[in-house]
Amino acid sequence: MDGVDLDLAPGERLALAGPNGAGKSTLLRILATLIRPQAGTLTVLGTDVAAGARQARGGLGYLAHDPLVYPDLTARQNLEFFGDLYGIPDRDARIDDLLDHVGLRGRAEDTVRTFSRGMAQRLALARMLLHRPRLLLLDEPHASLDQRGALLLDDQLRAARSDGRAAVIVTHEVERVAPLCDRLVVLGAGRVVLDEPIAGIDPAVVRRRYEAVTP
Amino acid sequence: MRRRQLIALVRKDLRLELRTRETIVAMVLFAIVMMVILQFGFGTRDDDLTRFVGGLMWVTLAFTAVLGVGRSYVAEREQRVLDGLLVAPVPRMVMLAAKAIAILIYMVAVEVVVIPLVGIFFVQGPYWGAIGWIAITALLADICIALAGTLFSGLALFTRARDLILPVLFLPALVPVVIAAAGATHAVAGGPHDMSEWRGYCLFLLGYAILFALVSIATYDAVFDD
Repeated sequence: MDGVDLDLAPGERLALAGPNGAGKSTLLRILATLIRPQAGTLTVLGTDVAAGARQARGGLGYLAHDPLVYPDLTARQNLEFFGDLYGIPDRDARIDDLLDHVGLRGRAEDTVRTFSRGMAQRLALARMLLHRPRLLLLDEPHASLDQRGALLLDDQLRAARSDGRAAVIVTHEVERVAPLCDRLVVLGAGRVVLDEPIAGIDPAVVRRRYEAVTP
Repeated sequence: MRRRQLIALVRKDLRLELRTRETIVAMVLFAIVMMVILQFGFGTRDDDLTRFVGGLMWVTLAFTAVLGVGRSYVAEREQRVLDGLLVAPVPRMVMLAAKAIAILIYMVAVEVVVIPLVGIFFVQGPYWGAIGWIAITALLADICIALAGTLFSGLALFTRARDLILPVLFLPALVPVVIAAAGATHAVAGGPHDMSEWRGYCLFLLGYAILFALVSIATYDAVFDD
Protein backbone atom coordinates (compact mmCIF):
# COMPACT_ATOMS: atom_id res chain seq x y z
CA MET A 1 0.00 0.00 0.00
CA ASP A 2 1.24 3.48 -0.75
CA GLY A 3 -0.34 6.74 0.35
CA VAL A 4 -3.79 5.26 0.98
CA ASP A 5 -5.84 7.78 2.97
CA LEU A 6 -9.44 6.80 3.62
CA ASP A 7 -12.16 7.73 6.11
CA LEU A 8 -15.29 5.68 6.57
CA ALA A 9 -18.34 7.18 8.26
CA PRO A 10 -20.78 5.19 10.42
CA GLY A 11 -23.32 3.50 8.16
CA GLU A 12 -21.20 4.04 5.05
CA ARG A 13 -20.77 1.06 2.70
CA LEU A 14 -17.63 1.16 0.63
CA ALA A 15 -16.93 -1.05 -2.38
CA LEU A 16 -13.20 -1.68 -2.73
CA ALA A 17 -12.31 -2.77 -6.24
CA GLY A 18 -9.28 -3.10 -8.46
CA PRO A 19 -7.42 -5.58 -10.63
CA ASN A 20 -5.65 -8.63 -9.20
CA GLY A 21 -2.63 -7.62 -7.13
CA ALA A 22 -3.89 -4.08 -6.59
CA GLY A 23 -3.81 -4.54 -2.80
CA LYS A 24 -7.53 -4.90 -2.03
CA SER A 25 -7.26 -7.95 0.19
CA THR A 26 -4.09 -6.61 1.80
CA LEU A 27 -5.90 -3.37 2.70
CA LEU A 28 -8.81 -5.38 4.08
CA ARG A 29 -6.44 -7.49 6.18
CA ILE A 30 -4.82 -4.32 7.49
CA LEU A 31 -8.26 -3.00 8.44
CA ALA A 32 -9.00 -6.35 10.10
CA THR A 33 -5.79 -5.89 12.17
CA LEU A 34 -4.38 -9.08 10.67
CA ILE A 35 -1.44 -7.18 9.15
CA ARG A 36 0.30 -4.39 10.99
CA PRO A 37 1.02 -1.46 8.64
CA GLN A 38 4.71 -0.61 8.32
CA ALA A 39 3.95 3.12 8.22
CA GLY A 40 1.03 5.47 8.73
CA THR A 41 -1.83 5.27 11.21
CA LEU A 42 -4.93 3.11 11.33
CA THR A 43 -7.90 4.07 13.46
CA VAL A 44 -10.69 1.50 13.61
CA LEU A 45 -13.96 2.42 15.35
CA GLY A 46 -12.22 5.30 17.07
CA THR A 47 -9.33 3.21 18.35
CA ASP A 48 -5.74 3.62 17.23
CA VAL A 49 -4.90 0.03 16.26
CA ALA A 50 -1.23 0.44 17.17
CA ALA A 51 -2.27 1.10 20.76
CA GLY A 52 -5.45 -0.92 21.13
CA ALA A 53 -5.92 -3.54 18.43
CA ARG A 54 -7.86 -5.83 20.75
CA GLN A 55 -10.45 -3.16 21.53
CA ALA A 56 -10.92 -2.51 17.81
CA ARG A 57 -11.24 -6.22 17.06
CA GLY A 58 -14.29 -6.47 19.30
CA GLY A 59 -16.26 -4.35 16.83
CA LEU A 60 -15.07 -5.99 13.61
CA GLY A 61 -16.90 -8.60 11.57
CA TYR A 62 -14.64 -10.31 9.04
CA LEU A 63 -15.86 -12.52 6.21
CA ALA A 64 -13.03 -14.06 4.21
CA HIS A 65 -12.73 -16.48 1.29
CA ASP A 66 -12.47 -19.31 3.83
CA PRO A 67 -15.33 -19.75 6.29
CA LEU A 68 -12.95 -19.45 9.29
CA VAL A 69 -14.85 -22.15 11.19
CA TYR A 70 -13.61 -25.55 12.37
CA PRO A 71 -14.79 -28.32 10.03
CA ASP A 72 -14.57 -30.93 12.81
CA LEU A 73 -16.90 -29.02 15.14
CA THR A 74 -20.65 -28.75 14.68
CA ALA A 75 -22.24 -25.52 13.51
CA ARG A 76 -23.48 -24.83 17.03
CA GLN A 77 -20.13 -25.66 18.66
CA ASN A 78 -18.40 -23.26 16.29
CA LEU A 79 -20.79 -20.45 17.12
CA GLU A 80 -20.56 -21.21 20.85
CA PHE A 81 -16.79 -21.06 20.59
CA PHE A 82 -16.72 -17.71 18.81
CA GLY A 83 -19.52 -16.43 21.05
CA ASP A 84 -17.30 -17.10 24.05
CA LEU A 85 -14.30 -15.43 22.41
CA TYR A 86 -16.40 -12.28 21.90
CA GLY A 87 -18.00 -12.52 25.35
CA ILE A 88 -21.58 -12.43 24.06
CA PRO A 89 -23.97 -12.24 27.02
CA ASP A 90 -27.04 -13.81 25.33
CA ARG A 91 -24.98 -16.38 23.47
CA ASP A 92 -27.38 -19.31 23.14
CA ALA A 93 -30.41 -17.23 22.15
CA ARG A 94 -28.30 -15.26 19.69
CA ILE A 95 -26.97 -18.49 18.15
CA ASP A 96 -30.49 -19.88 17.73
CA ASP A 97 -31.60 -16.64 16.07
CA LEU A 98 -28.66 -16.62 13.69
CA LEU A 99 -28.95 -20.31 12.81
CA ASP A 100 -32.60 -19.63 11.94
CA HIS A 101 -31.59 -16.55 9.99
CA VAL A 102 -29.04 -18.36 7.84
CA GLY A 103 -31.22 -21.45 7.45
CA LEU A 104 -28.97 -23.87 9.35
CA ARG A 105 -31.06 -24.56 12.48
CA GLY A 106 -31.81 -28.05 11.21
CA ARG A 107 -28.11 -28.78 10.71
CA ALA A 108 -26.91 -27.14 13.94
CA GLU A 109 -25.64 -30.40 15.44
CA ASP A 110 -23.88 -31.59 12.27
CA THR A 111 -20.15 -31.12 11.79
CA VAL A 112 -19.24 -28.41 9.30
CA ARG A 113 -17.24 -30.99 7.34
CA THR A 114 -20.56 -32.37 6.10
CA PHE A 115 -21.71 -28.97 4.82
CA SER A 116 -21.61 -27.77 1.23
CA ARG A 117 -19.39 -24.77 0.48
CA GLY A 118 -22.41 -22.47 0.41
CA MET A 119 -23.70 -23.75 3.74
CA ALA A 120 -20.28 -23.33 5.35
CA GLN A 121 -20.19 -19.73 4.09
CA ARG A 122 -23.67 -19.11 5.52
CA LEU A 123 -22.33 -20.35 8.84
CA ALA A 124 -19.41 -17.95 8.35
CA LEU A 125 -21.96 -15.19 7.85
CA ALA A 126 -23.57 -16.16 11.16
CA ARG A 127 -20.11 -16.18 12.81
CA MET A 128 -19.43 -12.72 11.45
CA LEU A 129 -22.73 -11.30 12.72
CA LEU A 130 -22.67 -13.11 16.08
CA HIS A 131 -21.22 -10.25 18.12
CA ARG A 132 -23.18 -7.49 16.32
CA PRO A 133 -20.09 -5.89 14.73
CA ARG A 134 -20.06 -2.18 13.89
CA LEU A 135 -17.69 -2.55 10.95
CA LEU A 136 -18.14 -5.34 8.40
CA LEU A 137 -15.09 -6.36 6.37
CA LEU A 138 -16.04 -8.59 3.47
CA ASP A 139 -13.56 -10.18 1.07
CA GLU A 140 -15.36 -10.98 -2.18
CA PRO A 141 -18.35 -12.30 -0.25
CA HIS A 142 -20.57 -13.06 -3.24
CA ALA A 143 -17.93 -15.32 -4.79
CA SER A 144 -18.38 -18.06 -2.22
CA LEU A 145 -21.92 -17.62 -0.87
CA ASP A 146 -24.78 -19.61 -2.32
CA GLN A 147 -27.86 -17.75 -3.56
CA ARG A 148 -29.59 -17.81 -0.19
CA GLY A 149 -26.46 -16.62 1.56
CA ALA A 150 -25.94 -13.85 -0.98
CA LEU A 151 -29.49 -12.60 -0.45
CA LEU A 152 -29.01 -12.64 3.32
CA LEU A 153 -25.81 -10.68 2.96
CA ASP A 154 -27.50 -8.15 0.68
CA ASP A 155 -30.20 -7.68 3.35
CA GLN A 156 -27.52 -7.11 5.95
CA LEU A 157 -25.79 -4.52 3.81
CA ARG A 158 -29.06 -2.70 3.08
CA ALA A 159 -29.83 -2.63 6.80
CA ALA A 160 -26.31 -1.53 7.67
CA ARG A 161 -26.95 2.08 6.70
CA SER A 162 -29.90 2.53 9.04
CA ASP A 163 -28.14 0.56 11.79
CA GLY A 164 -25.07 2.78 11.58
CA ARG A 165 -22.82 -0.16 10.70
CA ALA A 166 -20.11 0.59 8.18
CA ALA A 167 -18.94 -1.95 5.62
CA VAL A 168 -15.95 -2.44 3.34
CA ILE A 169 -16.61 -4.90 0.53
CA VAL A 170 -13.72 -6.12 -1.57
CA THR A 171 -15.11 -7.10 -4.93
CA HIS A 172 -14.42 -7.91 -8.54
CA GLU A 173 -18.12 -7.59 -9.32
CA VAL A 174 -18.56 -3.83 -9.20
CA GLU A 175 -21.92 -3.91 -10.93
CA ARG A 176 -23.18 -6.59 -8.48
CA VAL A 177 -22.35 -4.65 -5.31
CA ALA A 178 -22.91 -1.10 -6.60
CA PRO A 179 -26.61 -0.99 -5.56
CA LEU A 180 -25.57 -1.97 -2.02
CA CYS A 181 -22.80 0.62 -1.62
CA ASP A 182 -22.50 4.36 -1.13
CA ARG A 183 -18.96 4.77 -2.36
CA LEU A 184 -16.49 3.15 -4.73
CA VAL A 185 -12.76 3.11 -4.11
CA VAL A 186 -10.56 1.61 -6.81
CA LEU A 187 -7.00 0.57 -6.04
CA GLY A 188 -4.22 0.22 -8.58
CA ALA A 189 -0.76 -1.00 -7.56
CA GLY A 190 -1.45 -0.20 -3.93
CA ARG A 191 -2.68 3.37 -4.57
CA VAL A 192 -6.17 4.86 -4.65
CA VAL A 193 -6.95 5.65 -8.29
CA LEU A 194 -10.66 6.42 -7.89
CA ASP A 195 -12.72 7.45 -4.86
CA GLU A 196 -16.24 8.69 -5.47
CA PRO A 197 -19.83 8.35 -4.27
CA ILE A 198 -22.01 5.86 -6.13
CA ALA A 199 -25.25 5.86 -4.10
CA GLY A 200 -28.21 5.91 -6.46
CA ILE A 201 -26.07 5.69 -9.59
CA ASP A 202 -26.91 3.11 -12.25
CA PRO A 203 -24.65 0.06 -11.68
CA ALA A 204 -23.75 -0.02 -15.39
CA VAL A 205 -22.45 3.54 -15.11
CA VAL A 206 -20.46 2.58 -12.02
CA ARG A 207 -18.93 -0.31 -13.94
CA ARG A 208 -17.91 1.98 -16.81
CA ARG A 209 -16.25 4.39 -14.34
CA TYR A 210 -14.40 1.46 -12.83
CA GLU A 211 -13.28 0.19 -16.20
CA ALA A 212 -12.10 3.66 -17.15
CA VAL A 213 -9.45 3.65 -14.40
CA THR A 214 -8.40 0.02 -14.55
CA PRO A 215 -6.25 -1.57 -17.26
CA MET B 1 -14.08 -12.44 29.86
CA ARG B 2 -10.50 -13.76 29.69
CA ARG B 3 -11.45 -16.82 31.74
CA ARG B 4 -14.36 -17.49 29.40
CA GLN B 5 -12.06 -17.13 26.38
CA LEU B 6 -9.47 -19.42 27.96
CA ILE B 7 -12.04 -22.11 28.74
CA ALA B 8 -13.49 -21.83 25.21
CA LEU B 9 -10.06 -22.20 23.58
CA VAL B 10 -9.04 -25.20 25.70
CA ARG B 11 -12.45 -26.85 25.28
CA LYS B 12 -12.23 -26.36 21.52
CA ASP B 13 -8.79 -28.04 21.34
CA LEU B 14 -9.96 -30.96 23.47
CA ARG B 15 -13.19 -31.33 21.47
CA LEU B 16 -11.21 -31.44 18.24
CA GLU B 17 -8.83 -33.99 19.73
CA LEU B 18 -11.67 -36.15 21.05
CA ARG B 19 -13.35 -36.04 17.66
CA THR B 20 -10.29 -36.72 15.51
CA ARG B 21 -8.14 -38.66 18.08
CA GLU B 22 -5.09 -37.78 16.03
CA THR B 23 -2.54 -36.20 18.34
CA ILE B 24 -2.67 -38.17 21.59
CA VAL B 25 -2.99 -41.54 19.85
CA ALA B 26 -0.03 -40.71 17.60
CA MET B 27 2.02 -39.53 20.60
CA VAL B 28 1.30 -42.69 22.62
CA LEU B 29 2.11 -44.98 19.69
CA PHE B 30 5.28 -43.04 18.96
CA ALA B 31 6.38 -43.30 22.61
CA ILE B 32 5.72 -47.04 22.71
CA VAL B 33 7.63 -47.63 19.47
CA MET B 34 10.51 -45.54 20.76
CA MET B 35 10.67 -47.52 24.00
CA VAL B 36 10.68 -50.78 22.06
CA ILE B 37 13.57 -49.48 19.95
CA LEU B 38 15.43 -48.34 23.06
CA GLN B 39 14.84 -51.71 24.71
CA PHE B 40 16.41 -53.49 21.76
CA GLY B 41 19.12 -50.86 21.48
CA PHE B 42 20.23 -51.15 25.10
CA GLY B 43 20.03 -54.88 25.68
CA THR B 44 17.65 -57.71 26.40
CA ARG B 45 14.73 -57.84 28.84
CA ASP B 46 17.01 -59.53 31.34
CA ASP B 47 19.36 -56.56 31.54
CA ASP B 48 18.65 -54.23 34.44
CA LEU B 49 18.43 -50.74 32.98
CA THR B 50 17.27 -49.16 36.22
CA ARG B 51 20.19 -46.75 36.37
CA PHE B 52 19.30 -45.41 32.93
CA VAL B 53 15.61 -45.07 33.68
CA GLY B 54 15.56 -41.25 33.86
CA GLY B 55 17.33 -40.79 30.56
CA LEU B 56 15.29 -43.44 28.76
CA MET B 57 12.03 -41.98 29.99
CA TRP B 58 12.80 -38.35 29.24
CA VAL B 59 14.44 -38.88 25.87
CA THR B 60 11.29 -40.76 24.90
CA LEU B 61 9.02 -38.04 26.28
CA ALA B 62 11.05 -35.20 24.75
CA PHE B 63 10.74 -36.60 21.23
CA THR B 64 7.09 -37.43 21.85
CA ALA B 65 6.55 -33.83 22.94
CA VAL B 66 8.00 -32.59 19.63
CA LEU B 67 5.33 -34.60 17.87
CA GLY B 68 2.53 -33.15 20.00
CA VAL B 69 3.79 -29.58 19.93
CA GLY B 70 4.16 -29.79 16.15
CA ARG B 71 0.46 -30.49 15.91
CA SER B 72 -0.65 -27.79 18.32
CA TYR B 73 -1.77 -25.35 15.59
CA VAL B 74 -2.66 -27.95 12.97
CA ALA B 75 -6.41 -27.37 13.29
CA GLU B 76 -6.01 -23.62 12.77
CA ARG B 77 -3.45 -23.98 9.97
CA GLU B 78 -4.82 -26.87 7.92
CA GLN B 79 -8.46 -25.95 8.41
CA ARG B 80 -7.61 -22.30 7.73
CA VAL B 81 -9.25 -20.88 10.83
CA LEU B 82 -6.32 -18.90 12.16
CA ASP B 83 -7.56 -15.55 10.82
CA GLY B 84 -10.89 -16.08 12.57
CA LEU B 85 -9.02 -16.55 15.82
CA LEU B 86 -6.64 -13.63 15.30
CA VAL B 87 -9.39 -11.17 14.40
CA ALA B 88 -11.26 -11.98 17.63
CA PRO B 89 -10.55 -9.76 20.66
CA VAL B 90 -8.55 -12.45 22.45
CA PRO B 91 -5.40 -11.37 24.28
CA ARG B 92 -2.48 -13.26 22.78
CA MET B 93 -1.51 -14.36 26.29
CA VAL B 94 -4.86 -16.12 26.61
CA MET B 95 -4.14 -17.94 23.33
CA LEU B 96 -0.71 -18.93 24.67
CA ALA B 97 -2.15 -20.15 27.96
CA ALA B 98 -4.87 -22.17 26.20
CA LYS B 99 -2.42 -23.90 23.86
CA ALA B 100 -0.04 -24.57 26.76
CA ILE B 101 -2.86 -26.14 28.79
CA ALA B 102 -3.85 -28.31 25.82
CA ILE B 103 -0.25 -29.50 25.34
CA LEU B 104 0.02 -30.12 29.09
CA ILE B 105 -3.11 -32.30 28.96
CA TYR B 106 -1.75 -34.22 25.95
CA MET B 107 1.55 -34.83 27.76
CA VAL B 108 -0.17 -36.02 30.93
CA ALA B 109 -2.34 -38.37 28.85
CA VAL B 110 0.79 -39.80 27.20
CA GLU B 111 2.61 -40.15 30.52
CA VAL B 112 -0.29 -42.10 32.05
CA VAL B 113 0.71 -44.79 29.55
CA VAL B 114 4.45 -44.19 29.24
CA ILE B 115 5.49 -43.96 32.89
CA PRO B 116 4.09 -47.41 33.83
CA LEU B 117 5.50 -48.87 30.61
CA VAL B 118 8.98 -47.56 31.48
CA GLY B 119 8.69 -49.53 34.72
CA ILE B 120 7.71 -52.65 32.82
CA PHE B 121 10.29 -52.30 30.04
CA PHE B 122 13.41 -51.14 31.82
CA VAL B 123 13.33 -51.33 35.60
CA GLN B 124 13.95 -54.15 37.98
CA GLY B 125 14.44 -51.95 41.05
CA PRO B 126 11.89 -50.34 43.40
CA TYR B 127 10.33 -48.17 40.68
CA TRP B 128 6.67 -48.39 41.69
CA GLY B 129 7.32 -47.01 45.16
CA ALA B 130 8.63 -43.82 43.55
CA ILE B 131 5.74 -43.36 41.14
CA GLY B 132 4.32 -40.37 43.06
CA TRP B 133 7.66 -38.52 42.94
CA ILE B 134 8.01 -39.34 39.26
CA ALA B 135 4.52 -37.95 38.64
CA ILE B 136 5.45 -34.65 40.33
CA THR B 137 8.65 -34.51 38.27
CA ALA B 138 6.67 -35.20 35.11
CA LEU B 139 4.15 -32.46 35.88
CA LEU B 140 6.89 -29.86 36.39
CA ALA B 141 8.69 -30.96 33.23
CA ASP B 142 5.38 -30.92 31.32
CA ILE B 143 4.79 -27.30 32.31
CA CYS B 144 8.23 -26.43 30.89
CA ILE B 145 7.50 -28.43 27.72
CA ALA B 146 4.06 -26.84 27.30
CA LEU B 147 5.31 -23.26 27.72
CA ALA B 148 8.37 -23.67 25.51
CA GLY B 149 6.41 -25.71 22.98
CA THR B 150 3.65 -23.15 22.69
CA LEU B 151 6.09 -20.31 22.22
CA PHE B 152 8.12 -22.10 19.55
CA SER B 153 5.11 -23.53 17.75
CA GLY B 154 3.71 -19.98 17.58
CA LEU B 155 7.02 -18.75 16.17
CA ALA B 156 7.18 -21.57 13.64
CA LEU B 157 3.54 -21.12 12.63
CA PHE B 158 4.27 -18.21 10.35
CA THR B 159 7.34 -19.71 8.68
CA ARG B 160 7.36 -21.66 5.46
CA ALA B 161 9.49 -24.58 6.69
CA ARG B 162 7.65 -24.79 10.01
CA ASP B 163 7.88 -28.58 10.27
CA LEU B 164 11.67 -28.35 10.09
CA ILE B 165 12.10 -25.21 12.15
CA LEU B 166 10.04 -26.32 15.14
CA PRO B 167 12.27 -29.26 16.19
CA VAL B 168 15.39 -27.18 15.52
CA LEU B 169 14.12 -24.46 17.88
CA PHE B 170 12.30 -26.62 20.38
CA LEU B 171 14.68 -29.52 21.05
CA PRO B 172 17.61 -27.37 22.20
CA ALA B 173 15.24 -25.61 24.59
CA LEU B 174 14.27 -29.03 25.95
CA VAL B 175 17.85 -30.06 26.77
CA PRO B 176 17.84 -28.48 30.26
CA VAL B 177 14.38 -29.97 30.89
CA VAL B 178 15.56 -33.45 29.89
CA ILE B 179 18.70 -33.14 32.05
CA ALA B 180 16.73 -32.00 35.10
CA ALA B 181 13.77 -34.34 34.66
CA ALA B 182 16.05 -37.33 33.99
CA GLY B 183 18.16 -36.40 37.02
CA ALA B 184 15.07 -36.07 39.23
CA THR B 185 13.64 -39.37 37.98
CA HIS B 186 16.96 -41.11 38.50
CA ALA B 187 17.20 -39.66 42.01
CA VAL B 188 13.99 -41.40 43.09
CA ALA B 189 13.75 -44.41 40.77
CA GLY B 190 17.28 -45.24 39.71
CA GLY B 191 18.33 -46.78 43.01
CA PRO B 192 18.16 -45.56 46.64
CA HIS B 193 16.01 -42.40 46.94
CA ASP B 194 17.98 -39.18 47.11
CA MET B 195 15.30 -36.62 47.95
CA SER B 196 17.63 -33.64 48.24
CA GLU B 197 18.90 -34.28 44.71
CA TRP B 198 15.30 -34.71 43.53
CA ARG B 199 14.28 -31.40 45.15
CA GLY B 200 17.20 -29.60 43.49
CA TYR B 201 16.23 -30.82 40.04
CA CYS B 202 12.57 -30.01 40.65
CA LEU B 203 13.45 -26.48 41.73
CA PHE B 204 15.44 -26.13 38.53
CA LEU B 205 12.38 -27.25 36.52
CA LEU B 206 10.21 -24.77 38.37
CA GLY B 207 12.68 -21.97 37.63
CA TYR B 208 12.85 -22.96 33.98
CA ALA B 209 9.06 -22.91 33.75
CA ILE B 210 8.95 -19.43 35.27
CA LEU B 211 11.67 -18.27 32.87
CA PHE B 212 9.72 -19.52 29.84
CA ALA B 213 6.50 -18.03 31.16
CA LEU B 214 8.23 -14.63 31.40
CA VAL B 215 9.79 -14.97 27.93
CA SER B 216 6.37 -15.91 26.54
CA ILE B 217 4.66 -12.96 28.20
CA ALA B 218 7.31 -10.63 26.78
CA THR B 219 7.19 -11.96 23.22
CA TYR B 220 3.88 -13.64 22.43
CA ASP B 221 2.08 -10.47 21.32
CA ALA B 222 4.87 -9.80 18.85
CA VAL B 223 4.79 -13.39 17.58
CA PHE B 224 1.19 -13.01 16.46
CA ASP B 225 0.86 -9.32 15.73
CA ASP B 226 4.15 -8.59 13.97
